[in-house]
Amino acid sequence: MFIYITKRLLWVIPTILTVLLVLFSLSYLLPGDPADIILGPRATPEMAAELESRLGLDKPWYHSYLIYLQNIIRGDLGTSIFRDRSVLKVILDVLPYTVILTLAGMGLAVFNGISIGLLAANYNNSYFEKFLTMVSFITASTPTYIAGVLLIVVFSVNFNLLPSIGIGDGGLLETIHHLIGPALALSVGWTGYIARLTRSSMLETLDQEFIQTEKSFGIPRYYILYKYALKKAIKPIIAVIGLGIGRLLGGAVFVEVIFNRPGLGRLIVDSVNERDLPLVRGGVLVAALLFVIANLIADISYAYFDPRIKQK
Amino acid sequence: MFKSQKFFRFKKKSIRVIKIMKKDYKAYLGGSIIMLILISAIFAPLVAPADPYKTNVTKRLEGPSLQNLLGTDSLGRDILSRLIYAARPAVLVSFGGIIISVIIGIILGLLAAYVGGILESIILFIFDVIRAFPPIILILVLLSIIGPSLLSVIVILGVTIMPRYGRVVRAETLSEKEEDFVEAARSLGADNSRIIFKHILPNIFASVLVLSGMDMASMIMWEAGLSFLGLGLQPPLSSWGVMLQESYQYIQTAPLMILWPALAIMLTMLGFSTFAESLRVALNPKLNQEV
Repeated sequence: MFIYITKRLLWVIPTILTVLLVLFSLSYLLPGDPADIILGPRATPEMAAELESRLGLDKPWYHSYLIYLQNIIRGDLGTSIFRDRSVLKVILDVLPYTVILTLAGMGLAVFNGISIGLLAANYNNSYFEKFLTMVSFITASTPTYIAGVLLIVVFSVNFNLLPSIGIGDGGLLETIHHLIGPALALSVGWTGYIARLTRSSMLETLDQEFIQTEKSFGIPRYYILYKYALKKAIKPIIAVIGLGIGRLLGGAVFVEVIFNRPGLGRLIVDSVNERDLPLVRGGVLVAALLFVIANLIADISYAYFDPRIKQK
Repeated sequence: MFKSQKFFRFKKKSIRVIKIMKKDYKAYLGGSIIMLILISAIFAPLVAPADPYKTNVTKRLEGPSLQNLLGTDSLGRDILSRLIYAARPAVLVSFGGIIISVIIGIILGLLAAYVGGILESIILFIFDVIRAFPPIILILVLLSIIGPSLLSVIVILGVTIMPRYGRVVRAETLSEKEEDFVEAARSLGADNSRIIFKHILPNIFASVLVLSGMDMASMIMWEAGLSFLGLGLQPPLSSWGVMLQESYQYIQTAPLMILWPALAIMLTMLGFSTFAESLRVALNPKLNQEV
């Protein structure tokens, strides 16, 4: 186990270095001359040269790459062109909103998914179970942005119950009130997945011998279901939570744009549209780091809960 | 003689799969939805009641009526016709994207499993770098480099999903290679290409088929999402994502309008995922959730 984790951790380092190289090469790949985009048509050559040296575009690429790496290690992600502030500060300002949104979405998905899955396993082979399976298929095929749009149409436009934009003025109740819609929208797709996983895992556990033994001892049904079976069946669900957090980070892009919330996803979309190169690089780097960490947790928890993986 | 035996075995296997799927309501549901989408995509000019690009400013934002069954949009175009025509980019993106990722994935996966050594490490490393980005963000950045068009959306989606297939193909090839029947074929003098095409590819076919059903749903989801953000397909092209984006601006005045493209996307995804699920049960490939 320890060797597996160490190997997996070491493998991350070259991956991140290559991710950095890809992000670095964006300045050569993005269409248009950065100096032109930033300064506009009336820039003098001196201004352009000054800016190019500030962005590190006047040196050979490997030289600039090393400088780029050095700066990153020192925690300097550059300065945003249009916001005129440190990229790191801009990102750290919005990151908590994305983290809270993702965790709230995951929490809702786990709670609702396990509830639906348990009901489906309990009423297996009935029409109610078929209905629940269909519900989980439909939620699993609802993209985040459609869930968001439908929630806005129903709860904000028709019933005026939930706010459709923003994050509130900072009070706890306001914050939660503004979080309900976005978190629900984010959770919808993963709810269906967890429900299906819970159902199949429960059915598999209930089929095993020790459950039959307990039944023969006359232990009450609900006790067997929720005490013994659930305890065992929950392992694969815990194992996919890491994977789910990574997926929801991607879904947060849409939720933040639709609900007009500040956050990492919206920051990346805005900076791509504005061609704010340092901000694109910084934002994508942080997103990739979070994603790699989530995947790392997912892999390790898989290996922990399902020892067969380690051998691969 | 040998060929007919082979065909007979394949036929027997498909009969078994069809037999299992015939009892599964999910197969009927998914299959009929996919047929519906394909028919509207192929026969769009025959099925659609009106021209999807014909504007009529005097009739803008009207509700459902006999003339326009689902109403008209902000430029007075018939929503139903636009929905039907929008099945075309959806089908192109999902089938095109999946073909690209399956072909590249199979080639790289086979290379990694067969050649091994440094080449295998490089290929696995490329997969890991692609997988280090959240898919939607990678697609977004790549699109901003290449520029949005139908072709670039298809290629980028294909490349982003590709590592899944590469990894599955590599893992299954490695385990198939050790099977007795492959050893037997090799000892009878079969060369690598014969073993790959006759013995290994048919055996990983099931996993690839099931995975692609699921991924086609995700591709439609991502395409519509990108177009919704204004970064994917561009108006005036009829696409569900473009329609979502256009009707989102009128969400306060005409909230019903946004329902139709939303339903179309959900229905398509439901069709692909239920069909893939029923295929998975019938074929029972050795997929594990790690991929």
